[in-house]
Amino acid sequence: MSALATAPNTLVSVQDVSVWYGAHEALSHASLELRAGELSAIIGPNGAGKSTLLKALLGLVPVSSGTIVFAPALGRPQDALAYVPQQQTLDWAFPVTVWDTAMMGRTARLGWGKWPRRADKEMVSEALHQAGVYDLRHRHIGALSGGQRQRVLLARMLARNAPTLLLDEPLTGVDVNSQERILELLRVQAGQGRAVVMVTHDLDSAATFDQLILINRSVVACGKPAEVYTPDNIAATFRTSHLGSTHARA
Amino acid sequence: MPAPELLITLLEPFQDATFRQLFMQALLGVTLVSVLCALVGSWVVLRGLSYIGDAMSHAVLPGIVGAFLLGGNLLVGALVAAVLTALGIGAVGQRSGLKQDSAIGIVFVGMFALGLVMLSRAPTYTSDLANFLIGNPMGVTTTDLWSTLAVTVVVGGLLLFIQKELLLVSFDPTEAQAVGLPVRRLNNLLLVLIGLVVVMTVQLVGTTLSVSLLITSAATARMRARSLPRMMLSAALIGTLCGGLGLYLSYFLNTAPGPTIVLVNTLTFLAVLPFRIKE
Repeated sequence: MSALATAPNTLVSVQDVSVWYGAHEALSHASLELRAGELSAIIGPNGAGKSTLLKALLGLVPVSSGTIVFAPALGRPQDALAYVPQQQTLDWAFPVTVWDTAMMGRTARLGWGKWPRRADKEMVSEALHQAGVYDLRHRHIGALSGGQRQRVLLARMLARNAPTLLLDEPLTGVDVNSQERILELLRVQAGQGRAVVMVTHDLDSAATFDQLILINRSVVACGKPAEVYTPDNIAATFRTSHLGSTHARA
Repeated sequence: MPAPELLITLLEPFQDATFRQLFMQALLGVTLVSVLCALVGSWVVLRGLSYIGDAMSHAVLPGIVGAFLLGGNLLVGALVAAVLTALGIGAVGQRSGLKQDSAIGIVFVGMFALGLVMLSRAPTYTSDLANFLIGNPMGVTTTDLWSTLAVTVVVGGLLLFIQKELLLVSFDPTEAQAVGLPVRRLNNLLLVLIGLVVVMTVQLVGTTLSVSLLITSAATARMRARSLPRMMLSAALIGTLCGGLGLYLSYFLNTAPGPTIVLVNTLTFLAVLPFRIKE
């Protein structure tokens, strides 16, 4: 709680969090903060605990030790976070349209047995416009390109209207044009006072973010890109990974 | 003139008033059950629960047989069996440390055998067994029709009530869990609904074939549907048409109507397969 008292714009504070899967420690003593108005990148090799960190934030895996503290103003944690999963984890042949998918962002807020009201429809329209896929709203999601699919997921995230946005590799499988639009959209969200954090392999674009979180089982370094992007930190982050040489290029 | 002769031959069975009555009742039963199966089966197909659907359809047998032997309500009996099976699968899975598929296999075959053992005590074992295992659509009664209608309305209303939650759980279970939806309870509810549907299909195609009505027309509809309402509507239409055609064919081919309906459904699925919408 002390971290929150000293930094009033901190929305989520991860304090010395470890996650164990049986005898395997997937995340070890991680500490970091997600602040309002900041765009952060989580960077690390495969198996470094990035997904585990996101799952711990979402409350999908139990924290073995340490705590995750949400700013009291955020209310329930499940309303405080909106999540965008990796595109490949979803079934794109599922019989839903772009509109249906974005409307899923309103499901939890609406409650059981309630149908979307005008305010919900307006929010979904606005979200689709912001993501640049409003004109595709009647299309089946299977008929979209990778970049369009990602932007539909962003629209669903925007429709949640949550103060903290978590995205798992939103730039993967996406054309350069869509990547630019996605980054622009996320910067706007951060500019509106949200905390935005994404897992990414794109070190070049991450260098322009407000905060970098380098992870390799634990947090190797965390701070502004200029401070964090040192050869030592990058070596320590990608040390155990066979992907290290290609990703540490930047 | 071959055309009118053909027509006369095709309409010949309907000359008989008793047959006409039975056929129309059977057709009505098939239609109602097709709507019910479209509503529940679409979710089963989308959630990837077909295997559990198959298991449930076998596992409700002791409930149905027990109610039959005691002169009770078959629906209540099957519901009890469905709930016990759902709980049993969970309990066996947790205590044995076995994977879900083994737990399901053990529980459903055990329940099925229990139903057969119970039924084998009955004096009219052979004919009853055939009825329960492969059904007899021509034996649909007015009471069956009314209870199927009631169940269809109640299940339809319930599914409408939880539609958007089921949609999120089915499309993106991680997000559903993250926003705090009771994923496991929704799955259990679906299991109970599957059990309910199986009971309603028993009169038509029996427990062994009921999973076909539950999932085949929904799977056929999925090949072409772009939205959930369309998928359910197509599934209901396909189920009704296949059911009517199967009933009719079984008269001419002199085959068991239940399995004939199932075969028509299967062949329709295979015929639509090449025309699947690809991304």
